[in-house]
Amino acid sequence: MATPVIMPRQGQSVESCIIAKWHKQKGDKVEVGDQLFTYETDKATFDEEATVAGTLIDVFFEEGDDVECLLNVCVIGDEGEDTSAFRPDGAEEAAAEAPAEAAPAAAAVEAAPVIKVSDTAKENVFISPRAKNHADKLGVDVRFAEGSGPNGRVIERDVEALAQSGVAFTKAAAAEGASSDAKFEGTGIGGRVTTGDLKKPVAQAVQEAMQAEEGVAYTDVPLTNIRKVISKAMHNSLSSTAQLTLNTSFDATEIMAYRKKLKANAEKLGLGNITLNDIVLYAVSRTLLNHKDLNANMIDDKMRIFNHVNLGVAVDTPRGLMVPNIFCAELKSLAEISAETKELAGACQGGTISPDLLNGGSFTVTNLGSFGIESFTPVLNAPQTGILGVDTIVQRAKEVNGEIVYYPAMGLSLTFDHRAVDGAPAAKFLQELKANLENFSVLLAK
Amino acid sequence: MPKSQFMDPDVIRKSGYIEFDPIPVNQYNKTIKEESSNFSKDDFLRIYRDMAIIREFEQMLLDIKTKSEYQGIAYNNPGPAHLSLGQEASAVGQAYLLNKNDFIFGSHRSHGEILAKGLSCIHKLDDKELIEDMETFFDGATYRVVEGKEKDKGNVKDLAIDFLLYGALAEIFARETGFNKGLGGSMHAFFTPFGIYPNNAIVGGSATIAMGASMFKRINQKDGVVISNVGDASMGRGPVWEALNMGAMDQITQLWEEGYNKGLPIIFNFFNNLYGMGGQTMGETMAYNFLARVGAGVSPTQLHAERIDGYNPLAVIDAMRRKLDIIKTQGGPVLLDTVTYRMTGHSPSDASTYRTKEEVDKWAEHDVLVNFEKKLVDAKIAKSDDFAAMREDIRERMVKIVKLAIDDNVSPRMDLDKNPNIIADMMFSNQKIEKMEDRTPDVLIPKEENPRVQKIAKKERFGFDKNGKPVSKNKVYQLRDGLFEAIIDKFYEDPTLVAYGEDNRDWGGAYAVYQGLTESLPYHRFFNSPISESAIAGSAVGYAMSGGRVIAEIMYCDFIGCCGDEIFNQLAKWQSMSAGVLKMPVIIRVSVGSKYGAQHSQDWTSMCAHVPGLKVVFPVTPYDAKGIMNSALNGTDPVVVFESQRIYDVGEQFHEGGVPEGYYEVPIGEPDIKKEGKDLTILTIGATLYRALDAAKELEEKYGISCEVIDARSIVPFNYEKVLESVKKTGRIVLASDACTRGSALNTIAQNITEMAFDYLDAPPVVVGAQNWITPCYELDAAFFPQKDWIIDAVHEKILPLPGYVAKNNFTETEQIRKNKLGV
Repeated sequence: MATPVIMPRQGQSVESCIIAKWHKQKGDKVEVGDQLFTYETDKATFDEEATVAGTLIDVFFEEGDDVECLLNVCVIGDEGEDTSAFRPDGAEEAAAEAPAEAAPAAAAVEAAPVIKVSDTAKENVFISPRAKNHADKLGVDVRFAEGSGPNGRVIERDVEALAQSGVAFTKAAAAEGASSDAKFEGTGIGGRVTTGDLKKPVAQAVQEAMQAEEGVAYTDVPLTNIRKVISKAMHNSLSSTAQLTLNTSFDATEIMAYRKKLKANAEKLGLGNITLNDIVLYAVSRTLLNHKDLNANMIDDKMRIFNHVNLGVAVDTPRGLMVPNIFCAELKSLAEISAETKELAGACQGGTISPDLLNGGSFTVTNLGSFGIESFTPVLNAPQTGILGVDTIVQRAKEVNGEIVYYPAMGLSLTFDHRAVDGAPAAKFLQELKANLENFSVLLAK
Repeated sequence: MPKSQFMDPDVIRKSGYIEFDPIPVNQYNKTIKEESSNFSKDDFLRIYRDMAIIREFEQMLLDIKTKSEYQGIAYNNPGPAHLSLGQEASAVGQAYLLNKNDFIFGSHRSHGEILAKGLSCIHKLDDKELIEDMETFFDGATYRVVEGKEKDKGNVKDLAIDFLLYGALAEIFARETGFNKGLGGSMHAFFTPFGIYPNNAIVGGSATIAMGASMFKRINQKDGVVISNVGDASMGRGPVWEALNMGAMDQITQLWEEGYNKGLPIIFNFFNNLYGMGGQTMGETMAYNFLARVGAGVSPTQLHAERIDGYNPLAVIDAMRRKLDIIKTQGGPVLLDTVTYRMTGHSPSDASTYRTKEEVDKWAEHDVLVNFEKKLVDAKIAKSDDFAAMREDIRERMVKIVKLAIDDNVSPRMDLDKNPNIIADMMFSNQKIEKMEDRTPDVLIPKEENPRVQKIAKKERFGFDKNGKPVSKNKVYQLRDGLFEAIIDKFYEDPTLVAYGEDNRDWGGAYAVYQGLTESLPYHRFFNSPISESAIAGSAVGYAMSGGRVIAEIMYCDFIGCCGDEIFNQLAKWQSMSAGVLKMPVIIRVSVGSKYGAQHSQDWTSMCAHVPGLKVVFPVTPYDAKGIMNSALNGTDPVVVFESQRIYDVGEQFHEGGVPEGYYEVPIGEPDIKKEGKDLTILTIGATLYRALDAAKELEEKYGISCEVIDARSIVPFNYEKVLESVKKTGRIVLASDACTRGSALNTIAQNITEMAFDYLDAPPVVVGAQNWITPCYELDAAFFPQKDWIIDAVHEKILPLPGYVAKNNFTETEQIRKNKLGV
């Protein structure tokens, strides 16, 4: 009767053995006690002896093969007997490769933890040394951090979140008067928070700062990162371009009347939030495409002329100036531009603005009108070739039909890069813009 | 378990009796006249002089201890003084025939032996050798103090006696000019140029060490005998029994090769002063009645044991002459029960509450000096006046030596204010020596013909194939192959290298690291030891301090407990206690078990790391195993090499190109970054590395936390730089190993990281060790040893909470406090 011979298991941890040598060949007669083959584990060498007599009628593995323990290695029996029932799976390709580990399914990285920021300043902050150093470096006020570490400890990621939230101020900002203790109502154009809104807190903070630093003439405060970025960008702009500013003003009677109308019908139209600045933005978006050299970036030796108006809107945030863009502004309605401007300003102030929205602008509008600025020199948002400053409204007199009449004049200050645009074309842009604003209802109709 | 020895049941089961030969007890009875053919007048007088010098030396120390002055010289010696007043004859008699090639090892009460051996050598050495020995020792620092101050100007032997007494006393007084720069002290003073090897403050501590020294002499065919001088009470200590047995083991005469197959050249001498501190060994604390009886229980030679009269120097010399002859002709070991009596207490504070005044007075009547003088006067060898003059001369010399030894100007102490690192620099010798002696190593076949070498040649030296698939265990070059390769290479390079331990030969070591070594090495270089961990480790210490290199295997790490003294007190300390005179190129291989429960599965790296003087390494990849073993084997320091039974078969997964075939070293003390990352560092000791890598994978894939995994590789020494750099980058670290958490070396590392990288840390370093329990059975392993989940739990609970993660184990502070309160 055919009897299979298995690869013995020499110890619990042994998974397979290598056949080192065959002492009998297929067809050889075998007596009980005859050595059949020698096999090796990684630790030792053993001999396998026959326990039945007969003929070695089949051999499934060769010398050098690595055979899994307990598999049939050979069969002893009478010549001619069928051995197929004993043939182990995979005996053909006996040099069994270790089973390849199934490639781990690319498990999706779990959602990033939601890191919160506190609305109110805490008195005792448990914070890791690393987080504390990080906060100092970023200049954020850790009292507003919401600790997500063990036992509510503020750890590095919380400081990171705080820095991005924009709620907390730099030490410099605090010293200058900004304090996060107050909630601010945005009163500026686009509903954004301006330094004017900070008036009260400024007074408070200055008082506090003075009390805290009695006898100290000044404090050296390291620049925050955003300040550093702004500083570099501004300096770069002034040192690498040939910028100059043209000033003009236009009669704002029509746009003011238009806004008044919107406000009066706010409940009905839902457009009560549209500001004068939104109107200027709208007009700019409709004017620029006729002046392509101003809707452009100047990069080294080439001009990148934009097909759409990607209109940058300068936003005053607690951490500094930010310029998000309204992309394809020329395709958007006044209401859309208005809404988007508010949204962008909010995101900048909340620190949640997507970096994608901060790049790719073709022209910028900045507004200091609410501060009563009558005329100024905006600095180019390089490599853009133009930036329009919106000034305050003053009453001016003009002669109409031989009579002196007063009208509200809103100033416009256009800075442009003389490398890209000459004076006349720039003036033509201002001229067209002025016309569009003074005849706003016509522009709307286009 | 050599196959050549057939355990025949017909023989083993045969009935009969074991017969013993009578053991001689104080059989010496010659008169001075009968001995005058063996000793000249000068010899007799020198024997007296040497005993008198020891007497005066010990009396001087007793005076200083008890009266704070000697001969009007005031001094306070706060150190110990275990005096051998009354035992002078036994020391001088023993040393009389010995020369500098003969080594003596002593006990805490060995001033007399040092002086006797030194005086005997001074008598035998010529002036040139003496000058050279004195001038070269510590660049002549000791010599310069006494140089030119000899009474008999220009008499080198006279000068050498001053040198000997001064070197010993300065050592006892902890002076930098002492024989061991004051680091040994009274209980550890020695001077190897005269064959005076360490005395030992551990009772019986010298027995295994001396036995190892005698192995060195036999295996490396050196001249001389080795004497283990221990006290009678030390017979109660296991290591002493282990030394007797291993020193006499059958294989030396039955299996070791021609030229090496003579019994070890060792005399186990017991200075039997009848008390172990106050415990009376004969009648109270021991069972032997006569100590010499024990020899009959050890081997068929009965260790040639006899009791001799240690109160008669001539009886001791006579015995030594006969025993040295036995060692020369038949081989040892020899056991001597040298009866003697100490006239003073165990130490000066001993009130001798355990013996009567009558007993002490009665022994005083037998005083060795008084009686030997009387015999010599009676035999007309010399007159009483001659002895008195000799004693006066000795006193004068002693006054001179004491004055020198207490003079802070000529005998300063180590200035640790000026050189704070003097002792630190002696903790390790840090040398690289390829071979301890330059001669052809004794091997049986060329290395290329070794079957294991041939087997390894067919293996894949990197753990993954071209397609990144793991190579099967039987075909991959394993960690055990890395150890083997380093070891066999050194066997073919360093002729002094020996390896032994339990089941090393034939079996190939319990985990097959040594498989194949048997084919290459003769018995005397590679053998099975008895199951005597103390003797294994202790003999390694003796073998190494005599000039050889050893790999001693303790099998399971847990068995370190059986040789705690030998590893922690002897192996770790002799380099520094000798002030750098001795080297200790000893590898202790231990294996951390898995699957074998509470007494076979512990990681004791922390225990070894705690004791200064040991290097402690734990390589866990084949590349590191070979490289670290190479470093250890090429060095001169004791290295405890931990191996993990969990991963002997692991292939190399990290080192590009696999394990090099040639020689390379992985420096001891340098951790290795196994995987780079930026958010979290995981530092591991031992096989936990692989679990840490699993944890790192999950943390990365599921939680986006990029982990840097560092393998400590060494615990002592340990270079923090790489780890600090990593922690400064990531701000977070988990430390994990299989050692029980309480007292784990990881806590020390964590504390150092906290100190040095505090400002960079986003969370405290967290140690994940094994439970403070017994190791349970294998099936419950996962509850005891740190697992992948434990590491992730620790990160979640203590470092960086993971969104949506639910910890599987309780790592809260409340639990931590509760467990510690309970001591678990």
